[in-house]
This record gives sequence, C-alpha cells and structure tokens, in this order.
Amino acid sequence: MNDQNKICTAELVKVSKVFSRSGNETIAVNNVSFRVCAGELVLLLGPSGSGKTTLLTLLAGLQEPTNGSVFIFGKKVQDYSSAELQRLRANKMGFIFQTFCLLENLNVLENVTLVMKFAGIREKSARSHAVKCLERFGVGHLWNEFPGKLSQGEKQRVAVARAIANGARLVLADEPTGSLATEQGMAIIEFLHDSVTNDGLSVVIASHDERIANYASRVYRLRDGFLL
Amino acid sequence: MYALKTLSRQYVRFIITSFGIALCLILMLFLLAIYHGVADASVRYVRESKADIWVLQRHAANLLRGTSILTNRHGDLIKNVKGIKSMAPILFFTATVNLPGTSASVHLVGYDPVTGKGGPPEILKGDTLRNNDQIVLDNSFAAKYRIKVGDIFVIRDDTLTVAGLSGGTNLFVIQFAFITLEKARELLGFPGILSCYQIVVEPGLNPVSVAGLIRAVSPDLAVFDKVTFLNNNIHEAETGVMPLLYIVALIGAIVLTALLSLILSVYVLEQQRDYAIMKALGAPSEFIPVIIIQQSLILAGNGMILALLMFGPMLKAVGRFSPTVSAQTSFNQILTVASGLLIISLLSSILPLVRQRHIYPLEVFK
Repeated sequence: MNDQNKICTAELVKVSKVFSRSGNETIAVNNVSFRVCAGELVLLLGPSGSGKTTLLTLLAGLQEPTNGSVFIFGKKVQDYSSAELQRLRANKMGFIFQTFCLLENLNVLENVTLVMKFAGIREKSARSHAVKCLERFGVGHLWNEFPGKLSQGEKQRVAVARAIANGARLVLADEPTGSLATEQGMAIIEFLHDSVTNDGLSVVIASHDERIANYASRVYRLRDGFLL
Repeated sequence: MYALKTLSRQYVRFIITSFGIALCLILMLFLLAIYHGVADASVRYVRESKADIWVLQRHAANLLRGTSILTNRHGDLIKNVKGIKSMAPILFFTATVNLPGTSASVHLVGYDPVTGKGGPPEILKGDTLRNNDQIVLDNSFAAKYRIKVGDIFVIRDDTLTVAGLSGGTNLFVIQFAFITLEKARELLGFPGILSCYQIVVEPGLNPVSVAGLIRAVSPDLAVFDKVTFLNNNIHEAETGVMPLLYIVALIGAIVLTALLSLILSVYVLEQQRDYAIMKALGAPSEFIPVIIIQQSLILAGNGMILALLMFGPMLKAVGRFSPTVSAQTSFNQILTVASGLLIISLLSSILPLVRQRHIYPLEVFK
C-alpha cells in the first residue's frame, strides 16, 4: 500500500499557531503540513522552542490553529465540540509526557485504570486489561506501587501502558526519552515501535533525540516553527 | 475513590480539618441544645402546672419578664365567679441570697404547701415544703453552690432549711426557689400581697369561657387560659436573649463554610497538576467537580461523626462544670445540623469548583 492510500489518523494542513501576549506576537508554528497514518511512527525532530509540543497539542485538539486545518480521525478539529474532543482523547488517544505525569496519589494499577474509566470501560474489565498492559511492558509486578517508589524507566513504562490501555489509535508522545537514561529511553521507543508494527497504532513523537529517527516511519525536522 | 485517597495521603491535615469541622458542629449542636433546653425549662413550671386559668395584674402577660402585684381584694372580686373550683394565690419575687464567699439571685415562689398548687413541678431529692422554715431549691442551683438537702440557707435575716431539690425550675439565667406563701409575704413585708392566682375550673367546663366570666367581673385583671399563658411564656423565652444563640450558631455555620471552602481550595491548588493531567487524558467534564464535592462530603461526614462522638461526653462535662446550663438534645436537632452541614459542604465546594475550571490541560505540556 502506498502512502497516499493509508488511513490517515491525523493531518495538519498549512497550520500556523500564533501566540499573542501583551501586544507581542510569537509564531510557534508556521505553515506546517504533515500527516500520520495507521501503523506509522512519525518523529517531529527539533531543538527546544521549535514548535514540536505546540504541534502535539494541536493534534490532541487541546488548542486550535490560528490558520490552517487540523484533522483528527478524518474530521476537522474545529468541527468537534469540546465534549467530543474530550471523548476522543479518552477513547482514541494516548499521551506520554517527558515527566511521565503519573498521578502520585494513585498506585500504578489505578493510574492505568483511571484513563480506562474516562473511556467508559467498566472497573472489572479495566483492571484485568490494565494488568495485561502493565505485564506487556514489564511492570506488571509493580501494580500496587505508588509512582513515587518507581524508577524513571519504570514510570515511563507505566506511562506507555496507560497511553495504550484505553485502546488508543493515536499516541502522542512529548519528549518520551527526555528524563531517561539512554538505554531506558530506547527501550521505550522500541515498545512504541512494536505497538505501531503489531497493533497498527499511529504514534507521533516530539523529541530532539536523533536516535529515535531509526525507528520512525517519517521524520519531520522543525526549527523556529518551520518544517525544514 | 480518588477523593478519599487525596485526603488520606495528607492524613494529619485530614484529621485536623475533621476536628475543626467537628468543633464547629459541636458549637452549633450545643447552642441548639441550650436554646431548646432553656426554652423548655423556662416554661416547664407553667406547662406542668395544674391550673386552667392564670390571673395576673393588668398588662402582665407572662412569668418570665414583667411585674404582677395583686392583693387578696382581687381574689375576693373573682372567687364567686361560676365555674371556679379552686384558686391558689402565688407570690413571685427575686431575692439575692448570701452564700459562703459569694451571693446569688433566686426567683422565689411563695405557695400554699397545704394545697401544693403553685409548687415545684418535680422533686428530685428530699421532700416538699412542710413549714415556713423550709425552702426547696432548684437542683442545678444546689449543684452549682454545692448545697444539699438539710443544709441551712439564709435569705436576708431568715434561716431556712433546704427541704428538697426540684427539677424543671432552671430558667438558665435564674432559678426558682420555693417557700411558703406566708414566708414569702413575711420576707417582703407586705401581708396580703400576691402575684397571681392559679385557678382550676370545675370538671367539664371550658377554661376559655370561665376566663371570659372572670374578665367580665374584673376587667382590670389580665386573665389567661393555660394554653394562651403558656404560649405567652414560650414567646417571651424565644424572643429574649435566646435568638442570640441562633445568631452565634449561624456565625459558626459561616465560619465552617469558610473553613471548608479554604481547605478544599488548598486541595485544588495542590492537585492542580493532577487535574490538568486528568483533563488532558480526557476526564469527563463532571469528573473533577465530583471529586471536589466528594472531598467536601467526606470531610463534612467525618466531622459530623467526630462531633457526635464528642458531643455526649462534652455535654456531660459542661453539665458538671456548670450545672445551671440547661441543654436538651433531640434527634431533630442532630438532623437539623446534619442537613445544615450538607448545605454547607455543597456551598463550600463552589469556590474550589470555580477554581478548577481555570485549570487547563495545556499546563501539562509546559
């Protein structure tokens, strides 16, 4: 199947994002177009401040573009209501953050089942599915631990398990290796790559880590909001 | 439950907050108990009296506040009214008594010990009056000043023996003490003086009709059937200083609302990042508000349980420390406070709910 015929999960068409603060305008993203399809791992590569995270938030529907169009699952983001976007994030999207963003008051299992609860999955089936997800990423035995007791690598594995536990079709990862040692970081990318290959997930990674390019279906290089 | 986990992770604060809420609730329960206790005790003498009709001086309407001075002549005017079975003259006045190292005021009631009409509603210890040299004191008054049956009690130059201790005679600010009518008149120095007549009507007659006949004979007197007179006294009890107790209870409720609102706002501030994460991950719009309301209800519920556990012993301790404090607790009062607490906990959630609306999922990406 060539690239044009693949099912497009998310697409940005000539998207710009401008932030205005006290009369000063900052162009975070300038005329960017790209897309991510099922079974693809797309890498947004660039230094800090290049607009990678802004692109992820646009793909998540957390903010609207100043110009251009963002399509998520075939529908323009502006055409979704805020409740529909919330349900979309709960049911079809997964998120991985540089600082993991696990909820410190909940144990590992509860962190994973919480997003499944958001997706409307019942408690009992959520728990058994969450355990399977945790086991898949090698952290099943830590289900009763609180995030504060986990290593950085373990936290990120739990975060990856959480990102896909709700049956997400699009996973957005913001600097997923940023807080990890080299070996741990690459292990996480391999996990994501396996999910793309085996489950047909769409993954968009925003990172400055060149090594991730080896695993990416496509790499988009960014600088000062422009695609190079 | 996320709400409970968040609260219990900071267990010291959780305990302190619960105790703070419990103390506010105890204050409210206590004030309500005093209000009802005093309101009830203030009118118990009238309520438990066997009199069907009360006759007082013109313009006097109750026993609690107001003066009524009558003479035997008034009795002569009305004694032949048809339907009157018996008339008991009663004399009330307030006297200051000297006690070892202090002085106190009592509301003296002079009555005829032979008929017993106008005497104490209940004798808790000892006996009723048998002669002019005896006195019956209110039980709480006696406890406060450590007076026992058989002790000597001095009013002005007269030495009286405590014959018994009565119940239902504590008006909170002052207590009843019972002596013979003859002794009361002797203490005042006005023979033939009295404050009111307690009248019992013939069986089967309507006291309201008999009261009308008495008024017709002597229009200058204030004549009340028992129900009207009781209501007058209840109204007097409830419109004096007593409403202040409700105001203090209301202030307690406002303080509790502010306290709970502040604590919940602190929790929202502390959980700001968690809430932003939840929003980013697709938490339904009602998910975080439900957590905040649950937190409020858990804190309030915990406070209520602690308050109920502490209230009984605290009431006993207050009773021991200050016997004249008359408190009366009922299930309805607890229900009232619990209902008020439910409203308070919902009201307290408003500010934190508004605060959480300004937490944005984009904060997670910073």
